[in-house]
This record gives sequence, structure tokens and C-alpha cells, in this order.
Amino acid sequence: MTTATETTSAAATAAGQKGRRAALVRRERRRRIRRAAWNLVGLAVFGVMVFPVFWMVSTALKPDSEINSFTPTWFSPSPTLDHFRDAINRPYFWDAVKNSLIIVGVTVVLSIVLAFLAAVALAKYRFTGRSLFVVAMIGILMLPQVGLVIPLYVVLAKYHLTSDDPKRALTAVIITYMTFLLPFAVWTLRGFLLGIPKELEEAAMVDGSSRLGAFVRILLPLVAPGLVATSVFVVITAWNEYIFANVLLTNQSNHTLTVWLSYFTGTSRNTDWGGLMAASTLTAIPVVIFFLVLQRRIAFGLTAGAVKG
Amino acid sequence: MPWEMRMRVRHFAAAALVAALAVAAVGASGASGGSTANTLTVWLQNDAQNGWPDLVASVNSQFEKSHPGWNVDVQYQTWPTHLQKFDATLAGGNAADVIEMGNSEMTKYMAAGAFQDLTANKSDFDNSGNWLAGLAASARYAGKLYGVPYIAGSRVVTYRTDLFKSAGISKLPTSLAEYTAAAKKLAAKDKSAGFSPVYIAGTDWYVAMAFVYDYGGKIAITRKGKWIGTLDKPAALAGLAAFKRFFDVGSRASKTTIETRPWPYEPYAQGKVASMIGSSWFSCCVGDKYKSVTKQFVMPSHTKGQPMPGFAGGSDLAVPIGADKAAAVDWIAAFTSTESEKVLQAKGNVPNATNLLGNSVNERAARKTWFVPTAKNWVNVENGNILRTMLARILTGKMTIKDAAATASDNIAFTLNQP
Amino acid sequence: MPSSQVPDGTEVAAEATPSWSRRRPPLTRGRALQGALPYLLILPVLVVIGAVLGYPLYKLFTLSFQRYGLFELIRRQGEWIGLDNFSSVLHDRVFWHTLERTIVFTIVNVGLTMVLGTLIALLLVRVSNWVRVLLTSGLVLVWSMPVVVAVQIWFWMTNFQNGILNHVLTQLHVGDYFQHDWYGTTFSKLAMVTLLIVWGAIPFVTITVYAGLAQVPRELVDAAEIDGAGPLRVFRDVTFPILKPIFLILTSLSIIWDFGVFAQPYLLISPSNVDASNYLMGVYVYIEGYAQTNFGRGAAISLLMLVMVAAMSVFYVRRMVRMKDVQ
Repeated sequence: MTTATETTSAAATAAGQKGRRAALVRRERRRRIRRAAWNLVGLAVFGVMVFPVFWMVSTALKPDSEINSFTPTWFSPSPTLDHFRDAINRPYFWDAVKNSLIIVGVTVVLSIVLAFLAAVALAKYRFTGRSLFVVAMIGILMLPQVGLVIPLYVVLAKYHLTSDDPKRALTAVIITYMTFLLPFAVWTLRGFLLGIPKELEEAAMVDGSSRLGAFVRILLPLVAPGLVATSVFVVITAWNEYIFANVLLTNQSNHTLTVWLSYFTGTSRNTDWGGLMAASTLTAIPVVIFFLVLQRRIAFGLTAGAVKG
Repeated sequence: MPWEMRMRVRHFAAAALVAALAVAAVGASGASGGSTANTLTVWLQNDAQNGWPDLVASVNSQFEKSHPGWNVDVQYQTWPTHLQKFDATLAGGNAADVIEMGNSEMTKYMAAGAFQDLTANKSDFDNSGNWLAGLAASARYAGKLYGVPYIAGSRVVTYRTDLFKSAGISKLPTSLAEYTAAAKKLAAKDKSAGFSPVYIAGTDWYVAMAFVYDYGGKIAITRKGKWIGTLDKPAALAGLAAFKRFFDVGSRASKTTIETRPWPYEPYAQGKVASMIGSSWFSCCVGDKYKSVTKQFVMPSHTKGQPMPGFAGGSDLAVPIGADKAAAVDWIAAFTSTESEKVLQAKGNVPNATNLLGNSVNERAARKTWFVPTAKNWVNVENGNILRTMLARILTGKMTIKDAAATASDNIAFTLNQP
Repeated sequence: MPSSQVPDGTEVAAEATPSWSRRRPPLTRGRALQGALPYLLILPVLVVIGAVLGYPLYKLFTLSFQRYGLFELIRRQGEWIGLDNFSSVLHDRVFWHTLERTIVFTIVNVGLTMVLGTLIALLLVRVSNWVRVLLTSGLVLVWSMPVVVAVQIWFWMTNFQNGILNHVLTQLHVGDYFQHDWYGTTFSKLAMVTLLIVWGAIPFVTITVYAGLAQVPRELVDAAEIDGAGPLRVFRDVTFPILKPIFLILTSLSIIWDFGVFAQPYLLISPSNVDASNYLMGVYVYIEGYAQTNFGRGAAISLLMLVMVAAMSVFYVRRMVRMKDVQ
């Protein structure tokens, strides 16, 4: 049944289809090249940023004689795990790991929960004293902490929390960390909550849910990336904090990893650099694991499909 | 549904509030401390933990045997932060019973009344009649004794026997002039960039002030209760000039760097140093390659046959106020007894009394020492880096020796005379 | 009642109550609890902070008016000297030089951190998944390095004796950097500190901005791109407004932290080399106040620093406080 016109039109469509497919292939290739270019840039940035970390790990694997060689070497020709072994066998290593995990774990859970509640109040409700509270939060962040160390020690001593008893000592550190991290968490989570587009919230209101219920049910998934970022910050800050942990924890069996680490360099004799680098690498690992587990929650496009009619 | 959600959140908030209050309550209530037995808290630096933990353990068990019902809790500290922790415990009223203090840290705390008077107990400590001059001076204030000298260290020259031999240096130098000549020979033998015949860090004031004291100068003196800086007097100037001459001949270290960045033994281990002036324990870290060709000798004075005065560094043990003095004194007496000092001596330290001094290079060097002015604000002079700044200016030529010393002298006097 | 409207509870209630009382809604138990809810939500935070910081803040304030050194600390009794601490600090030339230096330092650091951090966050959006995971993990590694270790590594890399920076620069024939002393001049010292701080601060900014970008709905971006907007327009019109609160937070936090930074300059320049010629405020307050156990003076400087930082960040803070929220 094919007529001449139909044939030519079919041919035309076929040609048109082929042209469109070619254009699609070209666009696809351009996109792939662009992506590859960005990947290259990303890898370059990775290389520059991570170089000091690489240096730390590479030093941890070098035998003592090569650590401070006159011409620096990238990799050791004869790497060794001795420093890691020595670090782990140093007194109180496992105690320090346990203490750090407890302190940071409790701190982050309590801080995020309390801060989220307060941030919801600040971002979504109007009440007298709201501005004052916000300003107070940022005011605390502005305090130079060095000036507060001794009075804080005195006040915690009054609460009988500066003893060698691990429960009390760790509690002292936990509430100290919470005190300094809550303002930050509240401040940051409030920012994330304020950034949520209006449409998404109003969509939730339509079906007649109550305010707080809607907030918690709708906001929580939306602000998840913010919660993750904030909790990573809390974890890292608490994990690496030194000044307060050092003053508040007297008994070596209560020390956190950071304080334990300071004993590598605090002597008046030579420093065991290999050991320090190995110990630092070990100290960093739990945090990285924590982040890797959570990083999927910061996926781009999480809200895709949230506003759909 | 929404109402239940609201209720749940409200309950959650209330629960969190209760939890927070509970934490505070647990902390505030209850009996203080927790130990029913008596505890003697001792703060030692972690040098002891790394170097002679067995000695500490044996002294502890000895104490516990002779004091039934007591147990000793040794808490090791690090040098950079132990004073801040000490201040906090003083403010909180729960300082340790025994604390190890660097001898240049003592004066400030003695003047503030942080320690208990041990004058009446002096005879309880072994060899107290023969304590090293530098250490003993640091433990006395206003005529009273507030501390017990514990260990000391001094400065020696650590050198490469093979490099000295191949440069034709047959005899170890016994005067500064001979050492300078030796340095020139070493420089002629190895002309590579960055090679130091005598490694001295530019702002190593411990070495520089040794030159000052060698020429009869001083850092500061008191007259009628006021401190006067004396670095700009002729004797001190002569010492500084001698130091600059010696540095220019011998050291390729950075003129502005400090003596711990890098530690002298680091370039030594890289083969870039023929001799270095510093603590005797430097020999630990010269690297496997040069361990067998490393020896030490006493730093010579500009006067032939004499040793240059070495910095009398060391530690004292003190009893903070509020501590149980009798128990603390007993522990300190055991820890600084003749047997204990012999153990410390075997570990490479200088013991605390002249009658215990042996004949090692370290101990021979410790016979002639100098020490910083015993002023309560001396620590501020160190923290303000007045001496280091002066040395950097002199060595880089930014200021003449006279001007740099005059400025430093004024600053030192000003700082020491602060109320 | 119009037939098309289905009466629900509220409308019936509105009909039943007289018009004048509708202006002030009756204080039912539900409404009271509703009103108290925000206070309940912020209460735990207030309790924790108050219990711990209440006394120290009071002490910080009162100490600044006293002479309180080691002597007074041991006796727990200070001597009241009024405004002497403040006037001695404000008359100290070192204080003003340090302030000036710190302000410039803060501007440079915050600027570099925010710009580089945001650029890397935008980069993260455009790369493949595996590069993204690699890069964010690397950033977290950087972020999680303890400061002491980071300083030591940085010093090794830049030290004049055998630092790799000198080695690489010489190899690349950028110039003769054999044993170049990167800590010779004050500018050089602070430049090294800046690099260290910016390097350490980028991960936080990047990850937070990236988390913020995740809140930007894909639809809006696509819509803008279909309208023909280039990446710059998309950023300006779609992304930036949504990210504004986050930028405000990050900038204000960076100002606060960089102004009072202590560990990096103190450790990198080394405690033996910090002096009046290279003080930053954080180091200055530590040495003048606490290392010299002059706690009264330290408290006075701390309060002055608080005022300065507040002044520097007031622009951003005010914006944040007044930020119109969704309600």
C-alpha cells in the first residue's frame, strides 16, 4: 500500500529519526566528556587536599631511619607496621578508644536531639524571647573558650564531677561538650530549617495535619542532609577536642584518644614521630567510618518528587 | 494521628529535660570523692613513665607497705599543659599531694604561695647537704625551702668521631679557640650545602647564655629589690660577640629557628652535622648509621682547660598546699633516696647531689652550671621570647649586638619588675 | 450556609461564638499547651547550658574588674581594681596592632574558605558518583585530623631543612627554594598559618553547602535550565536564595572561629617563636592572660574580643536573626 509520497515521507522520517539519534549521541558524548573533565578536576582537588593526610600515613609506615631523611621520599622502600603495633600497645590505648566512643556517642545523640527540638521552635514558632535566645546561642559561640577553662573546672568540681570515677569524669566532659556544641547545632539546624522551600511545607498543611506533627513528619526527611552535616561536625569536634578533656580527665584510664595522643609529644625528650603518625591515623579511622555510613543521606536530589501535585 | 504525634513530641521533650536534670542531680548529689582509703596523688612528668616506670612502681609499693591504708595514684603529665592543669586544680581546691615542677617553673609558684614549707623536713631527704647548686637555688624562696631537687640534665657536645678523625682533629678541643679551629677544619673537609660543623639553632638561648656566663656576664641581677637587666654590660656583650663568631663559623642552622624544630639530632642523623651542643640524651636518636661513631665531650670554655658553664636544667618535687605533708614528704624522700638517684643516674640523668656525681661526660659538665634569675616573673620572660628575639636580631644582623642586647635588657627588667 | 461548603468543625465553632470573642481566641487547655510548646522545646538546651556556663560566665565578667593572678587564685580572693584591666589593655600598643592584624587575617581566611569551599561543593554536584564519594571521604579525612597532628605535618612539609614543599618547588624549577625558610618573616609565618587554617576549614564548608544543595529541588533547577539560564544564572537565581541562610551561618561562624583561632598559629609558629610581632588575638589572650597567669587581664581581653567579634559579625547575625521564616 505504500505510495511514492508515503515512501518519501517514511524516508524523511527515517532520516529525521537518524538525525535526532545522531544529535542525541553527540549530546550524550559531550555530556560524558564534560563529566570526565569535572572528574579530572575533582581528582586534582582530592590530590591537593588529601596530600597532608597521605604524608601522615606514609610517615606512619616508614621505619624510623627514613622519617626525617634529608631528601624527602614519597613512599618507603621498606614499609613497616611496627609503629602501628607500638601505638596500640602503648598503655591506655584501648581505654582511650572506649572513652572517646562513649563521650562522642552520647554527646552527638543528645546534642542533635535537643538542638533539633530547639531549632524547630526557633524556626517555626513565634514566641517572646525568640530573638534573644537566638542571639544568646551565637553569643556563646563567640566566647573565647580559653578564658572559661578554669571557672568551668571550678563549677564542675562543685558538682563533684572532677573525680577519678569514670562515670563522673566522662559525664563532666559530655556536658561540657554539649554546652559548647548545642549553640552551634541549634544555630546551624535553624538555618537548614529556614532554607526549606515554602511549597514543601504548605503541601503538608493541606491535608489537615497539626503544625508540630507536620513539621516533624515533613521536615525531618527534608532536613536530613542538614542533620547529617551537623552531626558530622559535632562528632569531629568532640572527637578532636583537647583543652577541656585534658583539664577535666585526670586519671589516665579516663583519657580520650586526643589526650592520649598528646603524650607522644609532651615529653622533654625525643618524640616518636612514627608512633605519633600511626596513632593519629588510628584516631582518624572511626570518624571516617561514621561519615561513610551516613554520607548517602546527603544525596543530591533527595527532595526530587516531594512536590508533586 | 497528628494529635498523637504532638503528644509524642511533647513527651520526648519532657523526657530530654528530665534526662538533663538527672545528669546534673547525679553529679551534685552523693558523697564527695569516693575512696575510703587514703590516696596519695602524685603528678610526675611522662618522662618518668617512659624512662623509669619500674622505679616509680617500686617506690610506690615501698610506700604502701610502710603506710598501711594508703595507696599511691601516680598521674603522668605532659610538659606543655601541666601548669594549666595545676592552676585549675589549685582553683578547684583539689591539687595533687606531690608535683614535679621544672626548676625554672618553681619561683613563680613559690612566690604565689602554692607550696608548703619544707624547711623543717630538709634532713629527711638523702644528701640534702650536697644538692646541686642550680637545683637547690630553684627550690628556695625568701629563705625557706619549698621543693626537693629530683633530677638534672646538662649540656654536652655530641660528635662524630669519624668526621673529626678525617678532618685531622687528633685531640678533643679543650678551649673555645681550639674548637673554633676544629670547626674550620671540618668545614673545609665537607663543603656541601647545609653541612654544619657545629649545629646550634639560631635562637638556642641555652647555648648563647652559656657563652654570656662564661665571659662573666649575667642575664639580670637584683639591687635593692629591683631587677636590672645586665645583658648590655661589657662582659655579657663579649659573650654574645663570641657566640655570634662561633655560630658564623660552625652552624648552618636557620638563624631564626628554635632548638626543637628541628631537634639537632635530626640533621645529625641525616649526616649533615659533625657535632651538636645539647642534652646528653641526644645520643639516643642519632640513627643506626652513626650510632657507632658517636661520642660526647664537655663543651670547653674560652679559658683553656675549663668547661663552659652548662644550663642547670632539672626538676624539683614540691608539696602543694592542702596536701598531707607528712605522707608527701615520706614519698618524696623515698623517690629521691640515694638508691633511687643511683637508678636515675643509670638511666642517663644527672643525680641531685654532688657526692653522687660520677664521671660520665654529662656529670662532668654538670659540675659548672648557670641558672636563670630566680624571679617570680622569669617564666614571662621565657614566654615572651625576649632572649630568642634578641638572638635572631643579632645573628641576622638586623640590629647590632649592643642595640639588641640593650632592648632585651630593658624588656627583661620591665617584665621581671612587674608586680 | 452555602450548600457547596461542607461545614467542618472550625467553621461551626466560628459560627457559634459571637464575633467579638473571635478576636481573642479562648484560652483552652489545648491552646495553652500549644503556646507553651516552643518554650518546652528550648528548655533542655537552656538547662544544660545554664548549669554549666552560668557560673563561668559570671566569673569571666567579674574577674575582668579584679586583679587576679596566681597569688589570688590560690587564696580564691581577687582584688577589685575597677576598669584598670581594661584601660591597661586598651592603652597597650600591642593590643591594637594585634587587633589590626587579626582583622585582616580574618577577612582573608574567611574569604578564601567560603569561596573555595563553595566552589568545591558545586564541583561535587557535577562529578560522577565514585569521584564524589572519594572526594567527600577525603574531605572528612582532612577534617578529622587532630590539630596537633595537622600542624606537625604542615611543619614537616614546609620546614626549611628538608620540607617537601621546597623540594617540589625546586624540582619544578619554579625557582631556587633549597632550604627556603617559610617562617622567616611575619607575613610568611601568617601565610603558612592561613594555608593551614583554610585547608582545615574547607571540608566543613563544602559538606555543609553540599548538604544545602541537596535541599534545592531538582525541578526548579531543571525549569531554569529549560528557560535557557546558564550555570551562573542558575546559581544566582535558584541556588543562592535557598542557600542564603546557610551562607550566612557559615560566614558568621567562620568569622567567629578565625578571629579567635589559637591552636594553629600557636603551634605552627611554635610557642617559642610567637611574640608581639606576630600575635593573633587568640594567641594574645592566651599568653597575656593565661600563660602569664594574669586571669583578670585575660578576662578583660576576652570580653573585648567578644565585643570585637560581635561587631565583625553583626551584619550576618542580624540577617540570620531576622530571617523571615516560612510562617
